[in-house]
Amino acid sequence: MNKQQVDIFPTKQGDGRPLNMEPAKGVLSHLSALEVRARSRQVQPRQRSRVEELRARAEALTVQRDRLKAEIHAHKGIEKHKTRLNNRGAAAAEEEMETEDNENEQLLHLIARVMDLKQLLYAHHIIGGYDITKTRRGKGICVTLSTAYEGVYLETYNMELDVGPTLKISRHNVPPFIPLGELCEPAGRQKDLRGFLDPLLTRLNAFAGRRQQLRLVKELHPSVTVMESNMLCSILVILLSTPREKTTLLCTLNYTDHTRCLPTGVHFDCEDKKLLESSKWKNNRKLLMETPVHKALGAMKNMDCIG
Amino acid sequence: MEGKLNEENMEEVMLLEENIRRLQAEVAELQGQCQKHQKELTLHSSQSMKRALSLVCGHTLQEDTHVVLSSLREEVEQLEDDLERQSNINGISLRSFTACTLESSDTKSVQQMCVSGQCSDLKFQVEFELSEVKGDERPEKSITSFNVVMGAGDLQNFSSFLSGVEESKDILLFFRTLRTFSDRMDERRRAFQHFQTKYGHVVCAPGDNSSLLTFHHPDLPGCIFLVHWSVDVSKEGEVTPKVDLLTKIPDRALQLFQSQAVVGTAEAFHSLLRLLGPEAALEEVIRAAGLITD
Repeated sequence: MNKQQVDIFPTKQGDGRPLNMEPAKGVLSHLSALEVRARSRQVQPRQRSRVEELRARAEALTVQRDRLKAEIHAHKGIEKHKTRLNNRGAAAAEEEMETEDNENEQLLHLIARVMDLKQLLYAHHIIGGYDITKTRRGKGICVTLSTAYEGVYLETYNMELDVGPTLKISRHNVPPFIPLGELCEPAGRQKDLRGFLDPLLTRLNAFAGRRQQLRLVKELHPSVTVMESNMLCSILVILLSTPREKTTLLCTLNYTDHTRCLPTGVHFDCEDKKLLESSKWKNNRKLLMETPVHKALGAMKNMDCIG
Repeated sequence: MEGKLNEENMEEVMLLEENIRRLQAEVAELQGQCQKHQKELTLHSSQSMKRALSLVCGHTLQEDTHVVLSSLREEVEQLEDDLERQSNINGISLRSFTACTLESSDTKSVQQMCVSGQCSDLKFQVEFELSEVKGDERPEKSITSFNVVMGAGDLQNFSSFLSGVEESKDILLFFRTLRTFSDRMDERRRAFQHFQTKYGHVVCAPGDNSSLLTFHHPDLPGCIFLVHWSVDVSKEGEVTPKVDLLTKIPDRALQLFQSQAVVGTAEAFHSLLRLLGPEAALEEVIRAAGLITD
């Protein structure tokens, strides 16, 4: 903040009028004039600076208000152009703008277009797009592989590919137990990028889904003991207890189809062979084959099959 | 004089104070209106956008409008290229996107979003709520409601998958499956077109996007080979094309010629299909049935 300079011997009053000093009337009048000035100085500077302060405040606020008004006005203009883009499509709006001379309108249109394009790019990202970007002057590309399970966004994996005569992976953070070479090589040789990425994305999503199911089993069913599972989450062995028969069951879920989140085989082990023959447990097997394991366990608990 | 001066000042002070109060209220209200925009602007932080915005807002007057316009045009072109690249690789072109904030706090935000576009010739509109929890452990992003609108014609094979995917809110799975489904549909369309142009006089498809293709010899309108090519989508989102060959031969003709060839057609075609794939298998059928004479 600027410090206001205080003039000790002002020759002018705050409002610019010359100070009331009449030189012709001798010492007394001069003294009385000085006295008035001295007295008024006790009150005046405080008041004057208060007024000035208030004036500056009002001025600053006016500037701020005008600025905000201009901003809102500009945004209304942008909104108008956005609606036009949405209603008539980008191409039609573009054509209309070609005859527009007003530079401000042109600016508003382009701003609306940039915002629109950025939103569409964001939408591609949200719906799980590959987010492809060029690197090394077009010699390579980067892609993102997003995974989600039941609406929850999970890990994203990234890959950098060389775009030569064939597609080659130069860097990636895909877990080593996903057979990248086997999945990608045939399509890579034909430079079929989608054929390269789609099967991989399916595998990664299935893997992320199985792992999420395992997490949910541990989280939602503390009474169920997870005895065994592997990195790929393609096998899951859980220990179940039955409240009525007072016995325990070992349940093995095999996920041999690595593109799916549901098991390809469910096997029970129990000392009570009769129990396994019962229709109730046959139904449970069917349930585990057709429903994600954490949900199947919930249903089994509701039916009092497990504790 | 002194008193008068003070009085004047007092009056001015009061006026100014009143004025300031009014301005403050006005500014606060305008700021509220602006907040929405400012949030949006943080998303668009490129240099050319910043300059263009300050120009249209009247914050800078000295900027050369032409320079700003051309740099903005350049940015639009780059973004258009980028969007085209994403549309190509994702096999989905998006037409519009709208978002509105339902809830926003330091720890959680919920946005209602609506995306429309098309995948090949399948049009779709999806509405969903995206909630983001900014916890100190792991920030979690999830879809909390999901609703799909698609053209009625496309729904037949899709419906059971669609209801499942809406329930599980798996938006990523929906788009992956939509893309694969549309790829398989395109394959069918291409194959049907191929047969229609190649064997126009013996081949007939009832509709533009039909799952049926029929063959018959011009001299034998009663004997028809029906190809039923459907693309099935399982509840889990697995897309499988299913091709069947059916024969339609008048009962009287069947009574007269009880040939093995006709009875076993469907099974024989399936083994042919496994060996050769749909296009080549159909070519073989056309050749074997003597529908064309080279």
